[in-house]
Amino acid sequence: MLGKYDLSTIWQFMLDRVDEITELTLEHIGVVLLSLAFASIIGVGIGLLVWNKPVSRSFAVASTGVILTIPSMALLAMMIPVFGLGWVPTVIALSLYSLLPIVRNTVVGLREVSPAVMESATGMGMSKFRVLMQVQFPIAWPVILTGLRVATQLAVGIAAIAAYVAGPGLGEYIFKGLSMLGAIHALNFALVGTLLIVIIALTFDAIFILISRYTTSKGIRA
Amino acid sequence: MSIQAARDVSTSYSQPSGRKGKFFTAKRIGTPILIVVALSALLAFLYLRGEPDSIEGFALNWEYQLARIDEHIRISIAAALLVAAIAIPLGIMASRTKSKFVRGFITGFANVGQATPAIGVIILLALIIGIGWTTAIIALVLYGMLPVLRNTMAGLAQIDPFVVESAKGMGMTPLQILFRIELPLAVPVILAGFRTTLVFSVGVATIATFINAGGMGETIVVGLKLSRPAVLLTGAVVVSCIALLMDWVAGLIEDILRPKGV
Amino acid sequence: MPNSNTTSGASIELLNVTKQYPNQDQAAVENFSMKINPGELIMLVGPSGCGKTTTMKMINRIIEPTSGSITIDGEDVLSLDQNTLRRRIGYVIQQIGLFPHMTIAENVSVVPKLLGWSKEKTAARVEELLSVVELDPKTFLNRYPKQLSGGQQQRVGVARALAADPPVMLMDEPFGATDPITREKLQAEFLRLQESIGKTIVFVTHDFDEAIKLGDRIAVLGPKSKIEQFDTPAKILANPASTYVSSFIGEGAALKRLALLLVGNTKMGAASKAHAKAGTVKVSDNLREALDRIVLAGGNTIGVQDASGAAVGSLSIEQISEALGADVSALGK
Repeated sequence: MLGKYDLSTIWQFMLDRVDEITELTLEHIGVVLLSLAFASIIGVGIGLLVWNKPVSRSFAVASTGVILTIPSMALLAMMIPVFGLGWVPTVIALSLYSLLPIVRNTVVGLREVSPAVMESATGMGMSKFRVLMQVQFPIAWPVILTGLRVATQLAVGIAAIAAYVAGPGLGEYIFKGLSMLGAIHALNFALVGTLLIVIIALTFDAIFILISRYTTSKGIRA
Repeated sequence: MSIQAARDVSTSYSQPSGRKGKFFTAKRIGTPILIVVALSALLAFLYLRGEPDSIEGFALNWEYQLARIDEHIRISIAAALLVAAIAIPLGIMASRTKSKFVRGFITGFANVGQATPAIGVIILLALIIGIGWTTAIIALVLYGMLPVLRNTMAGLAQIDPFVVESAKGMGMTPLQILFRIELPLAVPVILAGFRTTLVFSVGVATIATFINAGGMGETIVVGLKLSRPAVLLTGAVVVSCIALLMDWVAGLIEDILRPKGV
Repeated sequence: MPNSNTTSGASIELLNVTKQYPNQDQAAVENFSMKINPGELIMLVGPSGCGKTTTMKMINRIIEPTSGSITIDGEDVLSLDQNTLRRRIGYVIQQIGLFPHMTIAENVSVVPKLLGWSKEKTAARVEELLSVVELDPKTFLNRYPKQLSGGQQQRVGVARALAADPPVMLMDEPFGATDPITREKLQAEFLRLQESIGKTIVFVTHDFDEAIKLGDRIAVLGPKSKIEQFDTPAKILANPASTYVSSFIGEGAALKRLALLLVGNTKMGAASKAHAKAGTVKVSDNLREALDRIVLAGGNTIGVQDASGAAVGSLSIEQISEALGADVSALGK
């Protein structure tokens, strides 16, 4: 198998298909960003609502955890009878998966704010809402951002499988490589697909680190 | 918990389960109930819709299902055990090196590894080594190494250095310290990593169907390819229950094996 | 004399205030009544668990009273909106609780901003307050809490509580988390501050010496915040109301009383070179320091100087005893 393969062909391979590759890459990034947008709004929202209510909180964390335990292929499959194939089941599944890291980190971050800070804020006459938004949230922000970062990594990886439900993104190349087992370019397809996904994931990670640095108050940067 | 510590905890998927001493959490009781409810609903659904047609009949019978479930569980557990056997010693060695290069290399490797999609690893390996059960196991082991490796290193790193120092002062040999003090203290974190690997394995084994490794993924793919939603759903629900069950059992083991007082 | 630029204190009255937690059979605070005059610095002293902090925290309703009434300047505290009430009370807690994600300037500006002060007024006030607590504004305005030492953080905490110029201040062991040297400094500065601002302050401490040093009146509290004695430091030291109070004062009550009396107010003898050679004290020193000096000198009498250094008299152990109304010569040996 390996004998037939020539690494130098990969560059030409990519040049030949530059349009298609660009399109798939943009699709992949797009589906992740869209899912992350939904998951962030819903996830952080849930976190803000339940952080101080033990019953709701453990329910929220437990149920989003259950979702994450379900194999990605199974979750995607369960979407199909209801939502069909393509973008819709992919975005829904990715958003659902991304919920746990976001909800859990939001809750942990808000709860970890020191009680002394909370008490002095309340004692100064800040309403509970103000304390939440002007004191707790900024202090919890680095932790929440980490949750978003973990969620993004998850989403980038799982989006690769979406190709088998005709979803968008670079997974298409990976599956193409599989279906061409034995042909000359099989490995090129799979390799290009995988490598670009890795690069996308690492780039997102780097972007998150930058965002974290620039949006975290200097007073709490570790 | 400092912001940094919380960040570390939240970056890994794997953190020790439950608050100290709380055995009966919502998840512990809820998960088996959920599994039972899901499976009952599935069975009710299949029963109520009547006899499966000829195509469905191929998949929707006990023999077929049990064979797939058996394959799936075998491969997941085998892979997880192999991972433990390789990654824990590796993690111990890695946490012992003073070399910044080695540490940096492992961290870099871990980052890249986490960024790599499982499906990519599986298919690339299949293209290079060939399809089949062995390739699937190799892919599962490679992919599942990360949580256990990382958690072994983290678990050992979070041990209070003064505890180790007093053990040294009592005259324990390094090996004794490792087995009697460090590993027991790191067990909760390592087990949490193992639990993640187990769940990963179930998930990745589902994908392994694409390279003819069997398992429940086949049911799902058959249902998809032949447009039989009933088969599709059966595969999806059953494999989800397997994953939830494994997670639940691993959580129980985690709590049982946690040393008292940690 | 209170500075005319600042608000002077308000009067506080607590009447039969009780706090009963539902899951405990003993009340934490039972039937606590106290009248506090405007501008007074009241110390609540007692052992841990006596409910002194709980009592203080009911004034700004961080803890809600179960029964009883609390009024500030006649206004019923319990009928006011909580947040409005708290913005008019300065609140300093032991763990300080500075907001780590805000600069010092932002921390101090919180309540003025809540009250809608203009940017200029707030900025000016912040600078003024930092100077008052002896933190150079230029250096500290844009620093973050984690860059400050414990003592500096404590001062910022006090500045923050003073920001909106509240008539009432509640302070719960504000100097507790510092080392003894810093604490003494902070106490001295605080005394100086209170002289110029004259706010009504309720100050909780378990350190009786701190209470004597700072308070206008001290309430010695027993379990459930029962008031064992409520009087000026000098009177409590001279006449403890019960053995409980005496045990609080501890050993050396007489020496503690001496620390409250000034040389300048004591009947002295004539000045003489011989006495001055043995040793000197200033008129602004207290009698305990004078006794200390006499003991070190080895004799019986030392000279007294005024602020400029001119000799104005002499002080002997007998004269000190007279001032105290007790015989301190045994202490001198």
